[in-house]
Amino acid sequence: MSTPSQTVDLETYVPHVDHTYDPRDPEVALYVDDVSVRFGGVQAVSSATIAALAGQVTGLIGPNGAGKTTTFNVITGLESPTNGRVWLANNDVSSLPPYKRARRGLARTFQRLEVFGTLTARDNILAAAEFRRSWAHDHSDPRQVADELIERVGLGHVQHERVDMLPTGLARLVELGRGLATRPTVLLLDEPGSGLDTAESEALGDLLIELAQEGIAVLVVEHDVDLVMRVCNRIHVLDFGRIICVGYPKDVQADPAVQAAYLGAED
Amino acid sequence: MTVEFIQLLVVGLVTGCVYALSATGLVVTYTTSGIFNFAHGAIGMLGAFTYWQLTVAWGWPAWVALPVVLLVLAPLFGGAVERVLVRPLHGASVDVTLVITLGLLLFLLGAANYIWDPATSRVLPELFKGGGTSIAGVNLSRQQILIVVMAIVVALALRTLFSRTRIGIAMRGVVDDPDLCAMSGASPARIQQLSWAIGAALASLAGILIAPKVGLSSLQLTLLVINGYAAALFGRLKSLPRTAVGGILLGILVEMYPVYISPHVPGFSNTAGELTKAVPMIFLGVLLLFLPSARLRTSTAAGRIAPTVPGLRQSLVGGVALVVGAVFLTGLLSSDNLGIATSVVVLAIALLSLVLLTGYSGQTSLFVLTFVGLGAWAMGHSGHSVLGLLWGALLAGAAGALVALATARLRGLYLALATFAFAKGMDEAFFYFHLGSGQQLEIKRFQLLGLDTQSASTFFLLCALVLAVASVGVLAVRRGRWGRQLTALNDSPAACATLGVNTTITKVVVFTAAAAMAGFAGGLYGSSRGIVTNNDFAVLGSLALLLAVRVGGINTITGAIFGALTITMFPEIQKHVHGLPDKLQLAYLLTGLAAVSVGRDPDGLGGQFSKLGHYLRGLRTPPPSASGAPDFEEARLVHS
Repeated sequence: MSTPSQTVDLETYVPHVDHTYDPRDPEVALYVDDVSVRFGGVQAVSSATIAALAGQVTGLIGPNGAGKTTTFNVITGLESPTNGRVWLANNDVSSLPPYKRARRGLARTFQRLEVFGTLTARDNILAAAEFRRSWAHDHSDPRQVADELIERVGLGHVQHERVDMLPTGLARLVELGRGLATRPTVLLLDEPGSGLDTAESEALGDLLIELAQEGIAVLVVEHDVDLVMRVCNRIHVLDFGRIICVGYPKDVQADPAVQAAYLGAED
Repeated sequence: MTVEFIQLLVVGLVTGCVYALSATGLVVTYTTSGIFNFAHGAIGMLGAFTYWQLTVAWGWPAWVALPVVLLVLAPLFGGAVERVLVRPLHGASVDVTLVITLGLLLFLLGAANYIWDPATSRVLPELFKGGGTSIAGVNLSRQQILIVVMAIVVALALRTLFSRTRIGIAMRGVVDDPDLCAMSGASPARIQQLSWAIGAALASLAGILIAPKVGLSSLQLTLLVINGYAAALFGRLKSLPRTAVGGILLGILVEMYPVYISPHVPGFSNTAGELTKAVPMIFLGVLLLFLPSARLRTSTAAGRIAPTVPGLRQSLVGGVALVVGAVFLTGLLSSDNLGIATSVVVLAIALLSLVLLTGYSGQTSLFVLTFVGLGAWAMGHSGHSVLGLLWGALLAGAAGALVALATARLRGLYLALATFAFAKGMDEAFFYFHLGSGQQLEIKRFQLLGLDTQSASTFFLLCALVLAVASVGVLAVRRGRWGRQLTALNDSPAACATLGVNTTITKVVVFTAAAAMAGFAGGLYGSSRGIVTNNDFAVLGSLALLLAVRVGGINTITGAIFGALTITMFPEIQKHVHGLPDKLQLAYLLTGLAAVSVGRDPDGLGGQFSKLGHYLRGLRTPPPSASGAPDFEEARLVHS
């Protein structure tokens, strides 16, 4: 790795956090409180604090290996943090198993696809709607939910195809539809745009903004800078497991530490 | 401390050294190739028999035969197994590696029984006869001293290998990252081959050392070396020193148990000594209970076609066809042959539970016959009434629920090991007690709504009807909401959890349902046979059945029927085909062979046909999974 053009000493760098929130603030749907994860000798995430607000799209960006997916795993309970807590709508959910967090309104997609590959696209979403019905005991009609969501995420033309036969981009949309079928209040999207073409990516951006307008707190990990800059209200930047910057898109873009992290990582 | 205690301690230490040797070989192959070798015990058995052949049958001196077996034949065999079976499995899922190594186990067992007729009794002499010394009243035979010395030599040799030699250090590296290892100039394939050679040699050494004590029986030796699994698990399948400690602890526990522990087991004080054989499996089970929770990960569905599920109409037509076919057969077959046909049908009902449990939900099960056995046992103890079928289903279902609760955190290999431990433990502890050593359970036919099931044809028709109904039911489940949930659980447990599914409950429900189904079939099985013994429900039978269903396609009804048909028919074919030697164990040999050949395809023969169909219709083959899952296409290319 060569020396980045702008040298920033990450050890001593203090992020100018002007976006501090209280987990008890009703507007904060998800609050990741000082989370650290250590795998053996590797510090994957170190003291990360992230707030996702209801009705906003929050971005989580950073170079490969920065700890974004690990953070998602901690939020959903698939991974235990070495330190720190996770709050969902004013409640500390740190000790809950993944399925209980889901029942409190948390849904996610995966960077490495976790589709139900041997089911069709529609059955993936239908299954999720049925799961939701079985634990929420509401009177929703899973079939109707599935049909609406298929339409909404734009999978109508492939709804009867088995998902492992679909291109990656479309399979990601299946995961998005599946997550939405549980009617989440917090939606974590891990690189939803990768594998989509420009038009599809634009439609995805519109959908994310729409979801936020409906009141969902969307937290999105994405490498497509254009998409991130367009849809995100606020952005957190992770590098080597640390949050090095939080701010509005244009501030983040201009931040020297962020530029250093990206330039350093690209070499 | 009494002399007796010290004597037992010494004997336990010696037995433990043998377990440690066997387990060490298993761990070396597992850490370098990532594949748990279920055939390890069978390889050890083969080594012991080969050694017997050289020394006893051909009269070679031990000092020639021992190096020939341990340093030439066993490593060559291990290396060959790696080259032919293991290398093409690079990156394959646990499920596939399980089927391949279990297939090898069955095949080797069948082959050994063919070469060395089990009816002839053989004795493998100790390497050094008699002699020995007595220290302070504790006797030590030369063989015992030799075993301990061997274990120490092997431990030191492996330590030197892994810490001092280039290849040994590379062997440690290959576990962490085969690609990185390859870049640094070491060939991962060569390293893996070496580890299989070492594994085979250590298994053989364990076999040769223990055979004089337990007798030269292919089955006993295979299962005995399998006890090493428990020691390997004590080392978490990683640490050699911990594995050695685990082996020695297990050895001491096994020897101490009948003297110091069993007299204090409440209610069993007279007979509990006979439980000794179950001790290693109990040890294994307890270790599994204390394993750290497996992180939810994807199970890989790459390459799976998962044949289209027939619709209601199609499955009803199939069910009716089955019953009509059965009616037709009753007019055609003699009553003896009807008995065989009944066995096929009853077994197929039991195997439908595997379709549900393993095929649809992806939960590995090496214990289907255990539940069949519980069902038969309940049937035999409920006054031969038709209610016995329900009692059997209840008993087996309860056992299934218990196992599912106990193993809720386990998946893949560890779940397979847990089901194996349960099956073998039940073999030794329950079935042996109630149906073993010359005992047998008589199970009479039942009365059903005035129907006389004594007649072979009526009973056959009844069973065929049950099979038809059960098949239609299983398919309906697969198409419905619950089936979607099971498939989802199979495809991605992690996604299920993040969608609010309590995977433990799902697992308990499906285990209970499958076990109850097998238990119900067990009642029918007992009634059809009239008499059952513990041999009917042995763990190896469960393995053979699982493999046979896998070969036929574990997510299809035809797979279950195929499995029942082959396993039931092989012994019959053998009886009737002229020129086939009767010691040839077709069921083991062919099932093992078929499993290692088509085991790579998770859909079995059904999948092959399905793929052929897709190919003929010009459809594209499924793309390799985007999740970095194993690439079966590549594996197949290398293989062919």
